Amino acid sequence: MGKNTVSRRIADFISKGVFADFIKGLQVTFGYNLTMHITIKYPDQEKWIPYSRFRGLHTLNKDEQGRELCVACELCSKACPTGCITVIPMEDDTGRGISDRVARVWKVDLVRCLFCGYCEDACPTRAIRLGREYELACTDLSCTKKERPELLKPQSIPEAITGGVVAKARFIKGEEGIRVEADLGKTRKMRW
Amino acid sequence: MIDTALIIEIILIVFKVVVVAMILFSLPLPLTWIERKVAGHIQARLGPYRVGPHGVLQPFADMIKLLFKEDIVPEKADKLLFKIAPIVAMVPIFAVFVVIPVGDKFMIPGIDREITLYISDMNVGVLYVLAIAGLSIYGIIFGGWASNSKYALLGGLRSSAQMISYEISLSFSAVGVVMIANSMSLVDIVKSQGVGFWNWNFLYLPVGPVWFFVFLIAAIAEINRIPFDLPEDEGTLSSGFHTEYSGMRFAFFMLAEYVAMVSVSVLCVVLFFGGWNSPVPLPVPIPGIFWFVAKVAVFIYFFMWVRFTLPRYRYDQLMTIGWKILIPVCLVNILVTGYMKIVLL
Repeated sequence: MGKNTVSRRIADFISKGVFADFIKGLQVTFGYNLTMHITIKYPDQEKWIPYSRFRGLHTLNKDEQGRELCVACELCSKACPTGCITVIPMEDDTGRGISDRVARVWKVDLVRCLFCGYCEDACPTRAIRLGREYELACTDLSCTKKERPELLKPQSIPEAITGGVVAKARFIKGEEGIRVEADLGKTRKMRW
Repeated sequence: MIDTALIIEIILIVFKVVVVAMILFSLPLPLTWIERKVAGHIQARLGPYRVGPHGVLQPFADMIKLLFKEDIVPEKADKLLFKIAPIVAMVPIFAVFVVIPVGDKFMIPGIDREITLYISDMNVGVLYVLAIAGLSIYGIIFGGWASNSKYALLGGLRSSAQMISYEISLSFSAVGVVMIANSMSLVDIVKSQGVGFWNWNFLYLPVGPVWFFVFLIAAIAEINRIPFDLPEDEGTLSSGFHTEYSGMRFAFFMLAEYVAMVSVSVLCVVLFFGGWNSPVPLPVPIPGIFWFVAKVAVFIYFFMWVRFTLPRYRYDQLMTIGWKILIPVCLVNILVTGYMKIVLL
């Protein structure tokens, strides 16, 4: 016992003397210095394509005939924990929706929304989906409320794409602000 | 009676001083970029990337920002000391480079004139370097004291205690080199080491490596870099002696810090790694200045590498390393070196 501790102390002393711990640490950091980075060059060259389970901006879907799936049942606004969804129904027999009850107003307040996805779960017709659009910032309050016509547009990333990749992207500075346009054809997996 | 040779000599010296000063003033620009790149890649990031290709123009952007920042002097500060402190910290470190030999003397082919690649070959070069480099601590103490801020004052105090402790081991390891080389002139120290890495002081077995590591540790402590950067410990002192500084005065402190890192790398190369001598005898002559710059670059990378590897020491550990480990090691090593010099002659 006694001898053991003495020999261990001597070994400790020697390893301290030759900087064994420092060398181990320096090896680790040098290894990282040589391996590749994991940075996504986001606005300039690349963009992260989220998985399909991602909960981003709301979208209102249509069926194959182009009829709105939304029946304005208001279950989404009832289910919403923050009360950010406003639905005002109206009667309509022109075939805009799948039933004769459609939404006159379908509005979501993105500043209040916490992207929990309860509206998705509550929807009986799968009309509402949380999509994969995540660049929601703007310089004034105009973009914080999204209305039905805008949400009815097809999603920028189709449902068929699984996601979880980094796509080549273009950074576009225009009159109406900046945006990053992903090229879904050229993607790479992340290295982590 | 005006002597032409003397005038040419003076012009040459002024020219060399200007060149060295310009190089030293511009060195921190690439060094900050390299440091941030090294930091980034060690942490699996990219580092600066957006200003210019691979972020090479980032230092210029930083410089412009620092130039246009407001130069704040705290109301209750000691105005004069506060204003001169960055200069006091910076000037001595520049002055160190007067005796640094970058290369050997060479002849200019056409006009048959000998040029020396150092400003002055003092016969007490080592002593001069240690004395002048020690002065720069006044800048830090002035800065800490004059800011009239508790963090700055604590940073200044810590730095004075640290520098006094580690100056001793630093000087002792320089003494070791002087004993090995039998001269205090830096040029003679380099010449005594000669071509071939087995002739360098670093491999003057068994004492050479010990001197080198003592020098390295003490030097890192002297230039306040991690793991010994207690004077500017962000966690406890917000940023130590330069807490109250902004704009160009802060930039002068940073400049002093980077030039100090360069000067310490240069001293490591001159004292232990054979200065401008090539590591192996080569059939093709490669200019000595190339070897010198390459070795200095390796050391600068090493200091950055260490910075992003090791955590900061606690204050009592710092003092323990300085007084209880380095100084006894130095004393024993001086005895061994002296014995070797007498016995082996």
